[in-house]
Amino acid sequence: MNQIQNANVHNTTALRHTLETILWYVVLCLIALVTVFPFVWVISTSFKGPTDVIYSVPPQLIPQNPTFANYIRVWNQLPMGNFFLNSILVTVSTVVFNVLFTALAAYPFAKMKFPGRDVIFYLLLATFIVPPQLTYIPSFVLAVNVFHYYDTIFALIFPSLATVFNIFLLRQAFRTVPDDLIDAGRIDGASEFRIWWSILLPVVRPALATVAIITFVAQWNDFFWPSLMLHTRTNMTLQVGLANLQGMFTSDSRGVAAGVVMAIIPILIIFVLLQKQFVRGLTGAVKG
Amino acid sequence: MFKKRFLTPYLFLTPALIIIAIFIIYPIVAVIYYSFTDFSIVTPPEWVGLRNFQQLVNDPVFWQALLHSFIYLLVTPVLIILCIILAIIVNRKLPGIHIFRAIYYIPVISGSIAVGICWRLMFDTNGLLNSILLSLGIIVEPIQWLAEPAYTLPIAMLLTIWMGLGYYMMVFLAGLQNIPEELYDAALIDGCNNWQKHWHISVPGLRPQITFIVVISSLAAIEVFNEIYILYGPLGGVLNSGVTMVFYLWRQAFRLQHAGYASAVAIVLLVITLAFSIGNIRYLERGSEAA
Amino acid sequence: MKTSIALKLLMPLVAIAMILAACATPTPVVQTVVVEKTVPVQQTVQVEKKVIETQIVEKVVQVTPTPGPNPEAVIQGVEQGCELNMWTFWLSPTFDDYIKSTIARFEETYPGVTVKWEDHQATFQDDLRNAFAAGNAPDVINLSVSEGWVSDYATKGLLLPLDDKVPQNVKDLYFPGLWKEQLVNGVNYQFPWYQGINVELVNKQLYDKTGLKIEDFPKTVDGLPGLCKTIKQKTGTLCDVRLTVNDLLAQMIYEGGAKVISDDGKTFTFDSPEAVAWLQMYVDMVKDGTLDKTVLVTDQDRVGLDLFTSGKAAFYQTGPNLIREVRANNPGLYGYLAAVPAPVGKSGVLGKGLMSLSVKNDTKCPNASIALAQFFTNPKNMLDFSKLVAVYPSTPASYDDPFFSAAPVAIEDSAKPIAKDIISKYADIVPTIPKKADVNQIVLDAVQQALFSNVPAQKALTDAVAKANALINQ
Repeated sequence: MNQIQNANVHNTTALRHTLETILWYVVLCLIALVTVFPFVWVISTSFKGPTDVIYSVPPQLIPQNPTFANYIRVWNQLPMGNFFLNSILVTVSTVVFNVLFTALAAYPFAKMKFPGRDVIFYLLLATFIVPPQLTYIPSFVLAVNVFHYYDTIFALIFPSLATVFNIFLLRQAFRTVPDDLIDAGRIDGASEFRIWWSILLPVVRPALATVAIITFVAQWNDFFWPSLMLHTRTNMTLQVGLANLQGMFTSDSRGVAAGVVMAIIPILIIFVLLQKQFVRGLTGAVKG
Repeated sequence: MFKKRFLTPYLFLTPALIIIAIFIIYPIVAVIYYSFTDFSIVTPPEWVGLRNFQQLVNDPVFWQALLHSFIYLLVTPVLIILCIILAIIVNRKLPGIHIFRAIYYIPVISGSIAVGICWRLMFDTNGLLNSILLSLGIIVEPIQWLAEPAYTLPIAMLLTIWMGLGYYMMVFLAGLQNIPEELYDAALIDGCNNWQKHWHISVPGLRPQITFIVVISSLAAIEVFNEIYILYGPLGGVLNSGVTMVFYLWRQAFRLQHAGYASAVAIVLLVITLAFSIGNIRYLERGSEAA
Repeated sequence: MKTSIALKLLMPLVAIAMILAACATPTPVVQTVVVEKTVPVQQTVQVEKKVIETQIVEKVVQVTPTPGPNPEAVIQGVEQGCELNMWTFWLSPTFDDYIKSTIARFEETYPGVTVKWEDHQATFQDDLRNAFAAGNAPDVINLSVSEGWVSDYATKGLLLPLDDKVPQNVKDLYFPGLWKEQLVNGVNYQFPWYQGINVELVNKQLYDKTGLKIEDFPKTVDGLPGLCKTIKQKTGTLCDVRLTVNDLLAQMIYEGGAKVISDDGKTFTFDSPEAVAWLQMYVDMVKDGTLDKTVLVTDQDRVGLDLFTSGKAAFYQTGPNLIREVRANNPGLYGYLAAVPAPVGKSGVLGKGLMSLSVKNDTKCPNASIALAQFFTNPKNMLDFSKLVAVYPSTPASYDDPFFSAAPVAIEDSAKPIAKDIISKYADIVPTIPKKADVNQIVLDAVQQALFSNVPAQKALTDAVAKANALINQ
């Protein structure tokens, strides 16, 4: 008798579990729909032929005469290749050097005692709340009159080579490294630089990944400053080029859609490839 | 010894300090100076004392911009609530959950310009939203979403929220995964249901993440520009309904060539963000001490 | 190691970069084609001819022909070794060949000068302002007269005054009304380039639903509100009407016949009854719900064109040269297109010029820049341009070509026979407006208040006048 009862209870619990799981999947899918639906619409528009209607009641999601013509047209009329190249160059150089410089700077703040340490640190922290747009007017003047790199990608790279936020994050990470490791290195007679390079950096690898990713995303998506600096079309980065695209193809929603898709796909591919690192890196971003 | 105590630390600091000195410290000082001048970038600055600030006080568009920037702050609580819920939902060991997490992250990495264009195509008078509403019979005539002053900020804010969901969800997810299981088990034994479980354990446990996101998200809200520009163009929305502080700064400096006046706006913005961040951090830190 | 993550980030990026770099510039593949041709073999028959050769000693006098002056090289003193920068507005890629070949001919006409050409589109104004701020604006700039750009930049002292630098015989090549366009303090700052004739493009499919005939299209601007009401009633579509938000006072003058500033230039008067009536017309249209509000206040002409091209509007006012956009983006609509003359405003003046070429004030090569601007606007080159697209020259001489007396064939040509007459009557009736950008912003805010915020038009304009007067009398 008991066995049958137990079996019944098991069955109902198992059934409830399955229903719950299905319910959760439904919820997840609904949220996913909300997240990607605008993109689905744009992708669909980008493949619509000249006879496919864009605006209709009810909306037509599947193009009846799908074509690649819109992509070809946009590719020919706008230097999308240059946009990508410039964005990649700017973002990669920024990430590499920014992580390098901020990791260098974080070490003394975390593990060394020296005169002026706290003053400088709090001064830097104070600058964190300065809105970046405030600095654009003087930076504009600097770019034109002093550094003469107006309308080049250097104008985008140099100001981003060090950010206070990254220094702060890496300082937190370095502080979690046990002092014994560092003392051991010092006893062995290693220079501070060697300690930094061979001992500390490997240990804080996840934090470095986090900082790299945050900087990557921020630099890739940056629009305001690049739009001020870049005016020759072949020098533009992707975001500035996209804004231009919208202006250029106002009469051509299919072209705009094709351009947007072309802009998003590569970063999506990279994201998918590095997805695990992205997530792991981001989740390590905030630990107290 | 001197070398070790003094020189080495500063050697490490030098590259970053130089960059920050040139591109952040110097501009702050410069902007403070410019705010007391009449300056159009093409012509050299001319000292005018407090005139820019006096003009600011009497400028109705400036006050509008201030108001709009504060209204925009509403995205922060919405984001926090939505993202905590989202994080709780995806914090399960269901097969394929990684795919969903990745999908929710797509708007974040696509960039505000690409997403803004998608949004614009949807909200256009002859766009997707109107055609859906019309075919469902909810409206009879297409609504001119992007030309209604009352809808300007909400649509932009919706865009910001939509773009931030995935990003902040991940942060909260990490925080959730740091909360020890025992706390939840203890709660279950005590007879808490799911809702109480999360309210009493998850939310307090996420305090550091909440602080972090409140600070970052509110700063981003006060400083919003990209969304307004890509949705409404240089006009900034009908009746200046989308003009925020930074947008006004841009218009004054780079459209009307009044860089001195724009610098005054920038100074006000700085004071606000300063007060805000200090206030935020104090309030939340105090809260965590009490907890 | 940090390197593995960096590598993982870099590798796909580098791969993509390489792929894109390879794809970015497609090199034309030159194929050598071998053609086989059969040649009939001719039989040569040798005929013996007795030729008495007479030795004619020719005294060959070597005459090296001196190259006569290139008829198009009318500017003297062109600096050597100049590299000029030129920006055009929205002419690429359609007119790439025309621009490039004209530049090539310019460089032959004035050897020693080279030209670097850039075309800018929706962000033209922002790019140009930033370029001026950065000190590297182009030497020759294509500015829109119809949008008021010439006076914008001239009032800021950024353009080169042309009256005393261009010889009178060159000035006489242009229609007098066009040479005197957008004067700032009585001085001219532009070479008039290609002109447009505003027509109303009509979507016959929609228009016929109103029951009106094409000939009944309003001849004056104040007929528009009534038409828009009918259109909304009978077709459910909105009117595609645009305010030139960057130059509102000019529109007020042309359409409303209002006087906006006192003769001494010290007091603004754009709250006069005519001005209020003009604004009230638009306020009423917005209240009636007959206007597309996004188009009304957009600063991009293309947005209005887009609404028409997608078949959502019954008419749109533009130049016949933009019919090509309709044809390219909505071939179906092209078959239903009609063109009627645009309604005239209360000022009675048919219109003002369209595009011009100006020279920047601090150019290092003023004569070369003037020569380039003049070259593009000379009769021959403008005639060539007119043959490519429905634009019209600013030089009377071009109209003597049989091209203009030929009967119109396609709808784009419908204005051709009357073009010379209309364009010779173009006049700039807008006075110099001090601090134009700021005043325009004040007017723009006031207009929006009246249109969208229920502020009475009179009050909005009077307040704006007060603000504007305070501004210029500071």
